[in-house]
Amino acid sequence: MLDNLTAAREQMALSLSFHIVFAVLGVGLPWLLLFAEGQALRRADPVWYALARKWAKAVAVLFAIGAVSGTVLSFEFGLLWPTFMERYGGVLGLPFTMEAFAFFLEAIFLGLYLYGWDRLSPRAHWWTGVPVAISGMASAIFVTTANAWMNAPVGVVESAGHTVVAEPLAPFVAPTAGPQVVHLLVAALMVTGFGVAAVYATGLLRGRRDAYHRRGFATGSTLALMLAPVQGVVGDWSSRAVARYQPVKFAALEGLPRTSAGAPLSLGGIYDPATGQMRGAIDIPHGLSLLLHANPTAVVSGLDVVPPADRPPVTVTHLAFDLMIGLGLGMIALALAGLWLWRRCRATSTRWFLRAVVLAAPASVGALLAGWVATEVGRQPWIVYRLLRTADAVSTQPGLELFLYATAAVYAVLTVSLVAILRRLATGAPADLARRPVEVHQ
Amino acid sequence: MTAADGVLAAILLGLTAYAILGGADFGGGVWDLLATGPRRDAQRGLIARSMGPVWEANHVWLVFVIIGLFSGFPRAFGVLSRVLVLPLALALLGIVLRGAAFAYRQYGRPDPAGRAVRGTVVWGRVFAVASTITPFVLGVAGAAVATGQLPADGSAGALAPFRSPLPLLAGALALATCAFLAAVFLCRDAEMARAGPGLVADFRRRALAAAALAGGLALAGLPVMWADAPALAGRFDRAVVPAVGSVLAGAAALILLWHRRFGAARVAAAAAPTGLLWGWGLAQYPWLAVGAVDVASGAAPPATSTAILVVLATGMILVTPALALLLRMVRRAGPIERFGDASADSRDVTSPAEA
Ligand code: HDD
Ligand code: HEM
Ligand code: HEM
Repeated sequence: MLDNLTAAREQMALSLSFHIVFAVLGVGLPWLLLFAEGQALRRADPVWYALARKWAKAVAVLFAIGAVSGTVLSFEFGLLWPTFMERYGGVLGLPFTMEAFAFFLEAIFLGLYLYGWDRLSPRAHWWTGVPVAISGMASAIFVTTANAWMNAPVGVVESAGHTVVAEPLAPFVAPTAGPQVVHLLVAALMVTGFGVAAVYATGLLRGRRDAYHRRGFATGSTLALMLAPVQGVVGDWSSRAVARYQPVKFAALEGLPRTSAGAPLSLGGIYDPATGQMRGAIDIPHGLSLLLHANPTAVVSGLDVVPPADRPPVTVTHLAFDLMIGLGLGMIALALAGLWLWRRCRATSTRWFLRAVVLAAPASVGALLAGWVATEVGRQPWIVYRLLRTADAVSTQPGLELFLYATAAVYAVLTVSLVAILRRLATGAPADLARRPVEVHQ
Repeated sequence: MTAADGVLAAILLGLTAYAILGGADFGGGVWDLLATGPRRDAQRGLIARSMGPVWEANHVWLVFVIIGLFSGFPRAFGVLSRVLVLPLALALLGIVLRGAAFAYRQYGRPDPAGRAVRGTVVWGRVFAVASTITPFVLGVAGAAVATGQLPADGSAGALAPFRSPLPLLAGALALATCAFLAAVFLCRDAEMARAGPGLVADFRRRALAAAALAGGLALAGLPVMWADAPALAGRFDRAVVPAVGSVLAGAAALILLWHRRFGAARVAAAAAPTGLLWGWGLAQYPWLAVGAVDVASGAAPPATSTAILVVLATGMILVTPALALLLRMVRRAGPIERFGDASADSRDVTSPAEA
């Protein structure tokens, strides 16, 4: 038997992880669509047009699943965490209300876009894609802002467990909002880019070396690889914000049990709560102090700044964080390799590179999820940092466990069918294009 | 009137839009389930074609209501989530399955070589069944909060909303109303698409039957409400105007349907549930859940309510023209060329130069 708190947390983890994958594609793909259709318009080019049509179909299916899984989340906030909503729903109200309108615009213009291919002029059709792309990004910005507020709450006055004054704009001025939003948007574009590139890399590896596959590959991989180093810089910004506003989370991310001068950088390892030590970690002496303060003997706060009851589960947080960084560094390396190959015009003909890009797609999703696990688990035991404990926010209704299993079962079924449909969409160029491979030289 | 009242009014408007637009989409699923006769596939095709471009936008009204509620009335959202756990969880299941199934059915259908993605037929059924269950449980949830039998802490148990007659009746009424709306809208769509008199007649017959059923259930509901929801009955005076309006609109819809004036019938049909919802809302005001939470105790701090109201107004100014544009494009759709094939984008790819 799972207790209610565990069941609710697992359910949240499951449904957010499911949603975020569609959400990031919903953020990124519309931009690629605009690019491809724009090229098709400018050059009256059938290959770009075919790519745009194909991606539009993928967007349609992914958006539908994104919409239903997002709806699940908004119900779950109440069904699983009624106390959280009672106390802070009003504070999060403004970004979420704005998000509702972003959804509206996205859904409406997506309807126009998907059903307007033959009903609108080509130029008007392209323009209907613009609000889709903008509002997709806007909705990601609004929710991430809400999450940033949970991490670093500002602007509320409470008395006896009731919010009496709430600064309506509070989530937008939460100090972690900036880095979190930028980091997420870059992640969204990276996941999209690698996802698209991987489909066409697979085709190229199977010998479909036509312009359709090469352009699909080039568009996706260029976007993702260009952003990989950017993401490293933004991630560093994020780390600094966490160190400043959530020192305990930072200690958990880095696996630093004790406040120390000249703190080491630990890689991997498992935290032993009984002894308060990291076991099996590789330590780089003074590494953390150097990274954070550019000073080998600077003091960094450890877990011991708060009593054990206020510490998050360290091992999960730390390993998830290391996984994200490891994958991120790997993608930066891949970007450098790609640049080198591209300068030699061998980027689409080097098999190991194509294979690595195929792998980068699941890896980028892995980094995305790992980053979120680090963020969310690292916030524990607080649902709103230092204001409300997760344990106090959870629903007292019996049977949350069943709710979790039902959700897992439904999502499993949805995933199987979705994969079947996407696989069919991914099989090759439209017949009339595949027959006439066009050589292109950039 | 306070800012909170304004937010509440906006939520009620959102709920009305969802009841009509989302309701018609659910009703489409009901008629998909009940499709019979020689034109069975044509009926399903018309339903898919009518819903395709708009169902996502229609669905957002629900998201709008939920988000409006938790932003504007956080405490009420907490209370409603506690007392309505079971109906809301079931509605959620239905909504997820319906949305996903609709998309899967559409994008999994046979390709030019005639191969469908595995499971597409099953998703078609799931779509229909989920569309039938969801409005029922939503109706139950809506009426259960009017009974005053659900303490705020949820201690009455998950099954409590299903235990009294009024919610069950309201569930049935919601289902019948969705079917009615869908059938009326489909009459018009069939006519516009020049789908042939047979299909129009099919849906006209269905609309008339559903209207009779919905009207009957609504009348039967009055005495049940008196017994089951005394708080509502006590304030029925406030609801008289919208309730009478609802009855008149329903009657007008019947007459217009009879005379095959489908365009006007749409408006009348939409007005009937609108009157019902507004009457209900007025009679229940200021309670959000009778006996458990009201506007004053449920609302967000005033500064937040005001900010939300501003965002709501601004947002509506942005959304309304966009929505009008979408509806216009859908209307402009020519006669049905591709029956059973709901979206134009399954056509073979042609370059803009050729197109
Ligand atoms: C493609 C995905 C991806 C990649 C390659 C990276 N990240 Fe990341 N990271 C995310 C995707 C992500 C994320 C999923 O988007 C998170 C979760 C919450 C958030 O704001 O962004 C995140 C969170 C996150 C946080 C915690 C923020 C918080 O709790 O407020 C830090 C400190 C970093 N990242 C740092 C990095 C660094 C130093 C990287 C070096 C390469 C890096 N990330 C690569
Ligand atoms: C950082 C995390 C999140 C991001 C980036 C994100 C982004 C998005 C995007 C881009 C969409 C559009 C659908 C699509 O393209 O697939 C979407 C849909 C949705 N999201 Fe999220 N979301 C996140 C988390 C959440 C959370 C926590 C909630 C809960 C309140 C939520 C609620 C919704 C809802 C209700 C929809 C459906 C809107 C519709 O009907 O079109 N999302 N989200
Ligand atoms: C979409 C990407 C996200 C992922 C993958 C994610 C992941 C998780 C995980 C793993 C947990 C469980 C933590 C634990 O109990 O140990 C959790 C909890 C939670 N998350 Fe997120 N999260 C995401 C975004 C968000 C956003 C944008 C919000 C709010 C606006 C949010 C709100 C919550 C809430 C309310 C909980 C439950 C309370 C808690 O455990 O602290 N999440 N999430």
